Amino acid sequence: MRSVSYVQRVALDFGGSLFPHAICLGDADNDALNELVVGDTNGKLYVYKNDDSKPWAVRSCQGMLTCVGVGDVCNKGKNLVVAVSAEGWFHLFDLTSPTSKHPDASGHHELAAAEEQKPAFKQHIPANTKVMLISDIDGDGKCELVVGYTDRVVRAFRWEDSSENSDHVSGQLLLLKKWLLEGQVDSLSVNPGRDGSPEMMVSQPGCGYAILLCTWVSEQQATTEGRDTSAPSSEAPIRDVILHQTSGRIHNKNVSTHLIGSIGRGCSSENSGSGLFALCTLDGTLKLMEGADKLLWSVQVDHQLFALEKLDVTGNGHEEVIACAWDGQTYIIDHNRTVARFQADENVSAFCAGLYACKGGSNSPCLVYVSFNQKIYIYWDVQLERMESTNLLKILDCDPEFGSLLQQLGVERGDVSAVKDLIHKTLYFPEKHQQSSPSQCQDPAGADSSAHYAVIQDPL
Amino acid sequence: MAGRCPLVEDSFSRLASQSNVYGLAALAGGEGPGGLLAAALKGKVIYFRYHDLRQRLRPVARELQFTYIPVDAEIVSIDSFPKAPPQRGLVVGITFIKDSGDKASPFLNIYCDYEPGSEYDLDSVAQSCLNLELQFTPFQLCHAEVCVGDKPEVVFLLSGNDPSVHLYRENEGSHQFEEQPVQHLFPELQELPSNVLWLDVLNIPGAGQRLTAFGCQNGYVRVARVDRADRAVLQSWSIQQDGPVSKVLLFPLPATAAARDDAAAVAAPSYSVLVASAIELSVVYRDVLTRGLTDQVILPASDQYDSVLCALVTDVDFDGVREILLGTYGQELLCYKYDADAATNRPGEFRLVWTRRFPSPLLSMLYADLTADGLRELAVVCLKGLHVLQHGLETTARRLLERLRREAERRNRRGALEGE
Repeated sequence: MRSVSYVQRVALDFGGSLFPHAICLGDADNDALNELVVGDTNGKLYVYKNDDSKPWAVRSCQGMLTCVGVGDVCNKGKNLVVAVSAEGWFHLFDLTSPTSKHPDASGHHELAAAEEQKPAFKQHIPANTKVMLISDIDGDGKCELVVGYTDRVVRAFRWEDSSENSDHVSGQLLLLKKWLLEGQVDSLSVNPGRDGSPEMMVSQPGCGYAILLCTWVSEQQATTEGRDTSAPSSEAPIRDVILHQTSGRIHNKNVSTHLIGSIGRGCSSENSGSGLFALCTLDGTLKLMEGADKLLWSVQVDHQLFALEKLDVTGNGHEEVIACAWDGQTYIIDHNRTVARFQADENVSAFCAGLYACKGGSNSPCLVYVSFNQKIYIYWDVQLERMESTNLLKILDCDPEFGSLLQQLGVERGDVSAVKDLIHKTLYFPEKHQQSSPSQCQDPAGADSSAHYAVIQDPL
Repeated sequence: MAGRCPLVEDSFSRLASQSNVYGLAALAGGEGPGGLLAAALKGKVIYFRYHDLRQRLRPVARELQFTYIPVDAEIVSIDSFPKAPPQRGLVVGITFIKDSGDKASPFLNIYCDYEPGSEYDLDSVAQSCLNLELQFTPFQLCHAEVCVGDKPEVVFLLSGNDPSVHLYRENEGSHQFEEQPVQHLFPELQELPSNVLWLDVLNIPGAGQRLTAFGCQNGYVRVARVDRADRAVLQSWSIQQDGPVSKVLLFPLPATAAARDDAAAVAAPSYSVLVASAIELSVVYRDVLTRGLTDQVILPASDQYDSVLCALVTDVDFDGVREILLGTYGQELLCYKYDADAATNRPGEFRLVWTRRFPSPLLSMLYADLTADGLRELAVVCLKGLHVLQHGLETTARRLLERLRREAERRNRRGALEGE
């Protein structure tokens, strides 16, 4: 299995401890560059920018932060930072720097700073939160907030705005729906369904997943059409959870499972049907699926995979699946099941991958590891030239010109060692190769190859 | 400022324990793509190569079990060479120190298979061992080609803390390697003032002579010109530097404008020697054959990244002129290019063209074709493992096609002229 090493790394100071979902990458201040948002168990929210080891912004929240997110929760065309605590406190922060600054108002600075520390909005929602997703799950073009709970419940909320002024955040979260699942929910994701519309997916133990139906859409339709919706719901609840097991055998039924959907497959995909999603389990199974019934690949590794992400590391538009284990072993797997491994130096307590603007003022693909000794390590610009090792011959095989040049130079294309020899001579002994006198070419060591480089002339 | 490294990492293989500056050997000869042996301290040897399976090329690093290396052994150095034709076979030498508590005992193991058909099969080579106990602490193990009665032959040279260099040569009769007095074949390797840290031997093509250079722990550097047939030292130069000399390398350098006026310099290529130092700036002594160790050129900023532990002189940008690569303990790979402007009479100088950072200190390097395509890869052993760096394939392919196009045109024109 191919392994790689990454060198470009920054270490950020982070003193606290955190839940595995209390970390994310996103554009928190709407400057088109991504920041790293981390929430700790004491309710502190840290936002890191660039390669600065100290947080760019710190905010205080109520309770132990279990999940953080960045997104347009209020549907105002602007990203807000969301932090949710285990106790059920939902906080919204607007970190966009105000356009008008008051540099001389130093007297009010402390007061202003204290004021800024407060969340723009706070609301209590049911407690025991675990995971969170900000995404459009019902296809109405607006973001919903989905929260997974430790008691196997998933709730979807919608922001109901009550402000006239677009700058100020006021309104409240309204519960859209509550789903009850059989097993623990470790991840929430959205994946395009067969018709291209978003499907809400949650992971289920034993490498399974469930699709949660947004029943309010049909209910609303029914209401607008004037039908009586109370009659069927009084008889039996509508089926709103569709459970899928990806394999009937060998799996430990209770093994913790993660899932990620909407894996990018480049521009080649003509919006046809189901999206790609990946699953991983703590006992080392990795799967890539297209829709409910098409398994693209399955990989078994001997590491405990606890986090699953997607990231385009080759820059070809296809997002690779990134899975991380507790000991820092990271698997990067493309759609063709080509694996590259990377070993982070330390054990990790949380992991995320995505775009981050670390250096040079532009986003680059990054791997983020939270260590157990007060550091967060960001490996930035983790690009790979390609997923699979190759050589010059294989690259040139696709080039029709190479074939015709070989023919003109009298080298048989099938004669690999002759082609190899030609490549070697052309690259490393350029002036000798171009000189036609064969007597000069017979220097096995090539030791004096460069001595006469200045007197080369075209034979004509 | 220094630019970006044109090579990108293709693979990284972690070593179970750290390696050292003598821990990398290229495997040449035989069929198939070339490979590498990387030795880790705790008695493990990794065999790295690219495996071409079902049209897919994949890097494979596996542990090779060399026999007669005890579990408590610590490997010091490794080297390998193919026997000089017409003899066939691969020879691997490994020095290690067996520390059983009371007394550390050093050994040299030489692996070589005489069974026809398996001379190049590493797995069977690793099973046939000649075990030699040493009376000194081993350092670098290297090899050199010598001529004994018109027959080319390759011998092992092992430096030790006695301080001297020991020679191991295959006895034709018994088909076994044995130590022979070094002064018979290498008279220049006598009366050493200190432990030799690095030794480099370069046979001057067509001249029947060789250049030998070595650097010592106390900073002493000696370069000697020797007649290969008479085994007589023709010339010898030495210099005393401050601090250990980590590497000396002999290489041809394009003649400077001043030297080119000299008729002798044009006739014979000008050889230079790179002297890398653990605490000082690394330097190049140009044109040692005519100027001895007087024409010193420094490699700027080569002391800025901690000790230089490894070096290579090879062409990594395909212009036919060699660059100098230095690997440092400060986790940096430095590439220097020689600027000699023939138009002006200005003496040439070395310029730092690019640097590349590594995740751990660099210990040794090799530039060899591992992917079997004629293009060489750069293998770098760091404290934590073996990195294999490959040239950017798309840009190299473009460059190659451009040159082939020119060559084809030239041939066509020549063909047309001859046709007339």
